[in-house]
Amino acid sequence: MKILMIILQLILFIAAAPFLSGLIAKIKNNIRLRQGPSIFQPYYNLAKLFSKGEVVSQTASWIFWVAPFVLISSTLAAAVLIPVLILASPMHQMGDFLALVFIFSLGRFFLALAALDTGSSFGGMGSSREMFISSLVEPALCLVVFSISLQFNSTDISAFSGMHALSVSCIVSAIALFLITIAETSRVPVDNQETHLELTMVHEAMILEYSGRSLAIIEMAAYIKQMILFFLIAQIIFPIAALETVEPAQTIFWLLWYLARIIIIAISVALVEVSVAKMRLFRVADFLGFAFVLGIIAVVCAILGV
Amino acid sequence: MDCSEIISALKSKFPDFVALASSQDHPDELRLKVDPRIFKDTALALHKILSSPVMMLFALDERRERGVFVVNGVFCGFRSSQWVMVSMDIPQDNPGFETLAKSMHSASLFEREIQEMFGIEPRGNPDLRRLKLHDEVWPQANFPLRKDFQKVQPGNLGEYKFGRVDGEGIFEVPVGPVHAGIIGPGHFRFSVAGEPIINLEPRLGFTHRGAEKLFEGKSYLEALKLSECVCGDSVFSHSLAFTRAAEKISGISIISQAAYLRAIFLELERLYNHVNDIGGIALDVGFSYPSAYASIIKEAILQLNEKLTASRYLKNVNALGGVSVEINESKKTLLLGSLEQIKRDFNELVEILYSSGSFMDRVDTAGVLIKKTAEDLGVLGLAGRASGVAIDLRKCFPGVYKEAKFKMALEESGDVLARLRVRIFEFVESCRLIEEFGGKLSSCDKNKVGPILKEGCALGYVEGWRGPILYWLKTDPAGMIARCKIVDPSFRNWQGLAYAVLGNIIPDFPLCNKSFDLSYSGNDL
Repeated sequence: MKILMIILQLILFIAAAPFLSGLIAKIKNNIRLRQGPSIFQPYYNLAKLFSKGEVVSQTASWIFWVAPFVLISSTLAAAVLIPVLILASPMHQMGDFLALVFIFSLGRFFLALAALDTGSSFGGMGSSREMFISSLVEPALCLVVFSISLQFNSTDISAFSGMHALSVSCIVSAIALFLITIAETSRVPVDNQETHLELTMVHEAMILEYSGRSLAIIEMAAYIKQMILFFLIAQIIFPIAALETVEPAQTIFWLLWYLARIIIIAISVALVEVSVAKMRLFRVADFLGFAFVLGIIAVVCAILGV
Repeated sequence: MDCSEIISALKSKFPDFVALASSQDHPDELRLKVDPRIFKDTALALHKILSSPVMMLFALDERRERGVFVVNGVFCGFRSSQWVMVSMDIPQDNPGFETLAKSMHSASLFEREIQEMFGIEPRGNPDLRRLKLHDEVWPQANFPLRKDFQKVQPGNLGEYKFGRVDGEGIFEVPVGPVHAGIIGPGHFRFSVAGEPIINLEPRLGFTHRGAEKLFEGKSYLEALKLSECVCGDSVFSHSLAFTRAAEKISGISIISQAAYLRAIFLELERLYNHVNDIGGIALDVGFSYPSAYASIIKEAILQLNEKLTASRYLKNVNALGGVSVEINESKKTLLLGSLEQIKRDFNELVEILYSSGSFMDRVDTAGVLIKKTAEDLGVLGLAGRASGVAIDLRKCFPGVYKEAKFKMALEESGDVLARLRVRIFEFVESCRLIEEFGGKLSSCDKNKVGPILKEGCALGYVEGWRGPILYWLKTDPAGMIARCKIVDPSFRNWQGLAYAVLGNIIPDFPLCNKSFDLSYSGNDL
């Protein structure tokens, strides 16, 4: 049964994650009075990339080949850590909330190495910027984890799944996590997924040398990571009780609300992206510093019990 | 200032000055011929007297006619509305002249160009690396603008050496010539310490087509077509500069209606380019909403262009003695009506940009080009005005702009915001000018002129949207073009960009670059 749940959850993540990026792109384009590509464009892109060959720099070593697989496996590992289909985390004996932070770091570490591996100057710039940003993201993310753990008296992710009261601490940590998510999913104002300007890129600069199947795997990992983060925000700020009955009408309603809360987060991300300009690189420290301060407030609130 | 005044001013600057010949074929052009030995001092004196950078410095091959090369330096009296051209003959054996670049930085690029195109050596110039004929593909001792140049002779290939910065932790980042966006090719060599830029050396010339050589031997009509292809975003201003030179040579004066029409099209070209750049600046900082908004406005202007002239980019509009399209009552109503809508949309766009804190934070203090550097480099036009260089050919040589009480944009801070403000100011001013000129249009007969040129030479000049576009034209007795020297503002302003980005971080380079928005093809020719 548990194995089935894990497999189902993985399938759900792989199948649904690209849709969120397609949706965000569509919303952004519509706000800009443009038609934009179809909502399913990320799927078409993946299909295209999977069927293409790869061009690999002559200076690249095995790290370049291995990195996409480390990235996707670590992201999938994170995906089975969080409770989505059932109340308990399917693999909670594997690790807790804090493990999530470090599983993400593993993938990032390998990607940064791979970017340096090709010897391209853009890869080096991308790696150095990514490390700069992640060194600011991780402390803030840890604080969010602490505040959640304090509230639910456990670092187990299963603890806060299901219905819970919406405390001040919840709201503040959700906002902090939202800012972190913007940085982690390389969106404006921290990074810009749409840009063609190599010199301004962060995440895109790291993967500039990748093509074909490896690129598809990296893209896929990014989609899944985005969905995990959206799910966590949704679960903190829009808690949902477990499905108790199997009555069709109720199941449909439950399912709709389940999806709607993630879509609400996606819409918020899209709105943020079109309404601000990208920050100067070194101002990102202020932005993520703000997330860090929010994290501290959330921890204090959790200790005070509000 | 007329001829004698300039000469006496020169004499007071340095007493040894003697003009071998002086002439004033056209009211706004003064020509002095001097001995090569005093050329440098004369040029420096003119530089000081007129407080003008080197506007042009170029050579001519007159070995067949007179057995000499000629080098001309052009300066501009911005206050006295006059061009002063000083020229010297250089013997054809072992040709060379004393460098001006050591005393006047704005001459340095021109000297490098003379060296590579004619093989006339600016003696003492510390930097004689080629600009456009890349050493890797173009053998040495091939000088394409010499008249006897037929085709490339095989020879030794050279190597281009970039300026290097040494020191601990300094990295070189090569970017281009192939870029991710759909832009022209240019190579940028950054020396960085972490993210901050210590040195930037642009290497251009990848789109060198030999434009100046192509002009030679062409008839007026062929050359007009060619001038429209020199720089794709300044089609009208380039052809206008060319036509003005041709008109001066043939002694054609244009009627006021044609002058109004030309001014309208010149300003329309400015409008679509300025709004395009404003959108581009927003896009380069990832601010996509106003950028999309700007592209809507740009499209409206391009469609207006098409309805008025049957060409979105104003091709085939200029003609000797006027313009080839007519604006009747219905077109006039269309023009003024569309302009109302464009102005409304533009105000909205400016409102969005100015009210966005995140956007203003990006453009404020980014890419500062100080006034002193701008003056030394000879940066002119839009980028110059943003750095406090108060020069606009529409102000210095007003013509019909005088009636419209043209107001020049000027900013002091020299950053991206200043260049943005200049664009916004000029957009609004151009709309006003078009309305003003549009109101004065009336139907009238066109100037009928045959497309045959007389013999002579003259300078044509236009303040394009980027800055002054200069065409110096010389025709032979058959009316064919013997030499056409083009100076696009990009040529002088690329160096400004290289200085403006110093101390900025690499990710801000595209923004600085966009705020100058220089042309590759205009520079490379």
